[in-house]
Amino acid sequence: MSLHDTTDAAIPRRIHLTGGLRLPGFLAMAAVDLPILLVFGLLIVLPLLTVLAQAVMPALFDPQSPGLAIDLTPLGRALSGPRVLRSIGHSVELGAAVAVTATLVGGIFAALTQRFRLPLRALYVPVPWLVFLTPAYLKAMAWVLLMAPGGYLAQLGILPHWASDAFFGLGGLVFVHTLSLFPLPAFILGSALAGLGQDIEDAARLAGANPWRIWLRINLPLLTPAIALSLIATFAEVLSDFGLAATIARSSGFGVLTYGIYAAASDYPVDFPMAGAQALILLTLILLVTLTDRLLRKQGSLRLISGRSRQSLPQKPPPLARWIMTGVVVLIGVLAMWLPLVVILLRTFTATLGHGLEPTNFTLSNLTETLTPGAPALQALGRSFLYAALTALIAASIALILAARLDRAGPGLKASVTGFALGTIAIPGIVLGFGYILVWNRLPGFRDWPFPHYGQASLLVTGYVAAALPYCLIIILTAVGQLAPSLTDSAKLYGHGAVARLIKVVLPLVLLSVITAAALSFIRTVFELPISQLLVPQTGSPVPPYVVRLLGHDDDGLASALALVCMIGAGGLAGAGWLVARRYLNFTSGARP
Amino acid sequence: MSWALICEGLEKRLGGKPVLQTLNLNVAQGEVVSLLGASGSGKTTLLRAIAGLNHPDAGRITLNGTEIFAPGRLIPAEKRQIGMVFQDYALWPHMTVAGNLGFALASQRLAPAEAQARITHALDVTRLGPLRDRLPAALSGGQQQRVAIARCLAARPQLMLFDEPLSNLDAALREDLRTEMMDLVRQEGITVIYVTHDQAEAMAVSDRIAVMREGEIAQLDTPETLYNAPATPFVASFIGGFSLLPGQAQGGMFLVDGQTLTLPGTTGPVVLVIRPEDACPATLHPATRLIAKVLHAAYQGRCWRLTVEIAGQILRLDWPNTARPGDQLEFSLPPDRCLLLPIPIPA
Repeated sequence: MSLHDTTDAAIPRRIHLTGGLRLPGFLAMAAVDLPILLVFGLLIVLPLLTVLAQAVMPALFDPQSPGLAIDLTPLGRALSGPRVLRSIGHSVELGAAVAVTATLVGGIFAALTQRFRLPLRALYVPVPWLVFLTPAYLKAMAWVLLMAPGGYLAQLGILPHWASDAFFGLGGLVFVHTLSLFPLPAFILGSALAGLGQDIEDAARLAGANPWRIWLRINLPLLTPAIALSLIATFAEVLSDFGLAATIARSSGFGVLTYGIYAAASDYPVDFPMAGAQALILLTLILLVTLTDRLLRKQGSLRLISGRSRQSLPQKPPPLARWIMTGVVVLIGVLAMWLPLVVILLRTFTATLGHGLEPTNFTLSNLTETLTPGAPALQALGRSFLYAALTALIAASIALILAARLDRAGPGLKASVTGFALGTIAIPGIVLGFGYILVWNRLPGFRDWPFPHYGQASLLVTGYVAAALPYCLIIILTAVGQLAPSLTDSAKLYGHGAVARLIKVVLPLVLLSVITAAALSFIRTVFELPISQLLVPQTGSPVPPYVVRLLGHDDDGLASALALVCMIGAGGLAGAGWLVARRYLNFTSGARP
Repeated sequence: MSWALICEGLEKRLGGKPVLQTLNLNVAQGEVVSLLGASGSGKTTLLRAIAGLNHPDAGRITLNGTEIFAPGRLIPAEKRQIGMVFQDYALWPHMTVAGNLGFALASQRLAPAEAQARITHALDVTRLGPLRDRLPAALSGGQQQRVAIARCLAARPQLMLFDEPLSNLDAALREDLRTEMMDLVRQEGITVIYVTHDQAEAMAVSDRIAVMREGEIAQLDTPETLYNAPATPFVASFIGGFSLLPGQAQGGMFLVDGQTLTLPGTTGPVVLVIRPEDACPATLHPATRLIAKVLHAAYQGRCWRLTVEIAGQILRLDWPNTARPGDQLEFSLPPDRCLLLPIPIPA
């Protein structure tokens, strides 16, 4: 018996068996949709539901007397206690401030780099992508090394004492978050700007408007939906952040929700009900933000991207303005990427922070200690690379199969899974990690499964896959959606079954996207902190928790060396793989016009 | 007659709207039948239903004596041995020309020598031999189209479907390729269903044409019959750039805008079908004379194409001389070429 999927645009109503029989519609739908729903259910929905259940049923996993009674005491305790209330306030305050500053910086960066022909492009064009791929805790580490009372800037006499103090609080967090998150608004506003096209501006110029007036009266109003989206996305990112929460915020005593969840779930004595309550509060905040986003999008932005609108050409500003503009974008690039990178480099090759740039302070010992065979740092590196490679392979493969299935599924399922995948990107890693602890350490039936098993690398990799899957799915689904349906239809007419079509037709054509998804997953996983921190296997820690631990013990030289090797290794491997793939996988036709 | 394809009572609804309505179509062995209709008339849905790429809600499809779709029975697309030339050609961009043909044959599990012979033959007849190792992206539009046909020929399908195969080509290339393509399929004796919205293309390629409207076949006939005797005003409006002049028929007369033509036939509201080339000087057929107001004249080489108006209706006429907008034009129609068609009463 072989199953044949239908290619109707509508949800297939029956399964056809060669020779004739048809199965009832609901069974056919289940056969097509079940694997998709199972994967998402097991990897994401179940952990999330368990977290929510734990929040409202505190006795759910009580070792002495487990029960299903709904009891809102922990939630009430969280909302009445000063600590959690302060965390909520801090999270919202930080999120709101960074949403504004990052949107401003990202908007300026996008407008200047897209609309004007400026020199020194190499200094700022790759910055948003590099910053986007660098984890927050490494940027935090670099800025701590710069701004600490005994840090590089203080040693150089640039930083007054008060500024150093102010850095370890809201001001410093807003500063580092802004530099860390500005790529997001830069991408959003950049693509919106590209969509505006030249014709609209030309029409305004012919109507007598000067450039300032064009920006104020034409471009800014048209960019309003993108600005709103950028504010919302940045706010949600800050709420979900764990990298800065576990470094600068923690050492400044600036408690935020994500760290509160981590502390309640992992610090002795563990308080799962309290972790659940805080996770519920965090998820509610993020849900509200996501709903606002949906609402704004529903109101509809003006559709300006049409086949006929001409892309605006970057203009050459007058010399003085040109150098001021270049100065601004280079400054953003330097602060966001190059300065932190130089600091990590410097710290890697120096023995102590206190002796700064003294010639005698330079050494290779940190690097040697990192790369010594059998040393804990190299072991962590090996583990991280192995786990990340496995994650990239598994997540990209699952995403490919799901994408191929989804592309031919009914519009309802496709829209809901895509929406769900986009939604899960907003789920903080720390909440997902906590969900994994609850399911695989406490939930009967899962607790004793040999594979994946709590405390082992298999569960950590499962968690990584869950975090990477939505990204991979969206990248690959976009590529599969670009393929003309006739390419697989014709293969079908020539007698090729579903598997042959996937392997021989779809896969080669979307392989570059699959490799892109895998490369991005690899880099993200190597640097993933919250899930790694919560699900550290008994066999040993991967890089991110190890780096954070080294920082906690003021061993920032070794932390810098490990971070540097990790960045070069992961970036080099993923980048080289991607470049080779792009070189050989360029079939220019066959895409939908 | 031995039918290669029999479609009986096909029905399909999409989003509650009928796209195929109790549709019947028989195609003889080696025959070329065109499905001609506007967008949304159901021609592509019918083609894809025959291919097995979508499934009707009801009806029966029989291919060379084997039921491929019937209540409780369905042969999937990959087992129907039907070839299709897609609108965008659907060449697999990561495979060479020969690779495309090879992959189309792979599922038939032929002996390698046989497969090679078929590929070589298909490439030879389509004159693609020298391009066999190129990727589709390195070919022109016309060459890509020939690869799509070669791929179909190599697979030796029971039935070949063409889904507007010329619509992506420029006008000059279209006619040459059309002739070449149809010569090929006729040489190989393949049964063909050809979807198009271009009536000139349908006339040129087909043994018979099925004019489709709202999921039904309005008329299925040879090109000559369709041209000379369209069955309904709709078919007439779709063919040959005909003009339709609504009026009243009574007592062997056709009345329009105060003018009377002697035309025996039906009684009641009718349209007079006017073919552009039938317009003659007024003196030639005094009983079927009309006066119209000239709106526009365009030189067409052999004649002038005049756009004229009678009672608010626009007519197109081929005329030996030019005329100025606003002029009165007197012309007549050969009575034996005048066709009166009753206006159907809406259900």
